[in-house]
Amino acid sequence: MYDLVIVGGGPAGVAAGVYAARKKLKTVLVAKEFGGQSLISTDVQNWIGTKSISGFDLAKNLEEHLRVQEGIEIIDSDLVNRVEKLSGAFRIFTESGKNFEAKTVLICSGSHHKKLGVPGEDKLNGRGVVYCSTCDAPLFGGKTVAVVGAGNAGLEAVQDLFPYAIKIYLLVRSEKIKGDPVTFEAIKANPKVEIKYQIEVQEILGDQLVTGVKYSDKNSNQIQELKLDGVFVEIGSAPNSDIVKDLVRLDQWGQIMVDHKTQATSEPGIWAAGDVSDVLYKQNNISAGDAIKAALNIYDYLNKNK
Amino acid sequence: MSKVIIYSTPTCVYCRMAKEFFKKNNIQYTEHNVAEDDIARETMVQKSHQLGVPVIDINGEIHVGFNRSELERALGLK
Repeated sequence: MYDLVIVGGGPAGVAAGVYAARKKLKTVLVAKEFGGQSLISTDVQNWIGTKSISGFDLAKNLEEHLRVQEGIEIIDSDLVNRVEKLSGAFRIFTESGKNFEAKTVLICSGSHHKKLGVPGEDKLNGRGVVYCSTCDAPLFGGKTVAVVGAGNAGLEAVQDLFPYAIKIYLLVRSEKIKGDPVTFEAIKANPKVEIKYQIEVQEILGDQLVTGVKYSDKNSNQIQELKLDGVFVEIGSAPNSDIVKDLVRLDQWGQIMVDHKTQATSEPGIWAAGDVSDVLYKQNNISAGDAIKAALNIYDYLNKNK
Repeated sequence: MSKVIIYSTPTCVYCRMAKEFFKKNNIQYTEHNVAEDDIARETMVQKSHQLGVPVIDINGEIHVGFNRSELERALGLK
């Protein structure tokens, strides 16, 4: 029986792991990979104490910091897929078939890239449908592409494509851009970019590879097609809260509701921190800090319930 | 010994993870930067029907993305 299971290896999970180890809690941390969503960032400039670091190196530093802690058990390349409530404890199941019991659970499972949910999307994933613009933009040299989404991620994907694509459509669902004005100005000034507003993508077309999209245009009320070699989907993220959705209270977006003083959820024995929680600002530094609050509160809880 | 080819881009972290994994396990590999090498990019698309990196070719078997346990199995490391 563990004192604590930490689910996730992003800034929140690792921060909690370091604190739990220092409090000598019998802890196991389960993570598919380390670093969280910043892993794919080219340059992180706001991780406090570090002027500039790549997401890759940030992830490595986090992993190293965790691995030097004495007494913590780490299960990597695995995912928690179910949490079951027992009397006074929890049973945790992983994708690879492991399961174990723990007195407390800290969910730091972050969030995932939202999909459009239209026909053709899954079939053409990796065949012109792209969810990591940093990774795959260089493959679209001389190609015509569309970026779907007008938040910062969408605008940054357009920028990632500047050196490669010959034509970039930015498909926006509403009538205005949500991302930073500075980035937007840079995008507007680039002659490769064409912005289309009030566009709803209906289908991604293609057999072996993407050949285009079918979309409805709210201005003209017409279904139209656009010839494309690639579709970059950047419509935001959704919390990975499925594993505890029947145990704890979630808000309307599926985020785990927490007491922001302690990070405790509605279920005694389960805490949550980072992007999976209903924290107002999704930031690495905040995730780390919130997870530390959780670890310390879990320590107090375990002492009280000895 | 396994013949390993990785198709990558310089900005792709999963490519870096795969390469570090190969180095750690003393696996020799050939790398093609498909951001610059158009011919390699065509070969990659033909082999894998993929437009996403990394694509890893182990003795002719295609692996898309970086999945450590899958690569360990393909390379007979586990």
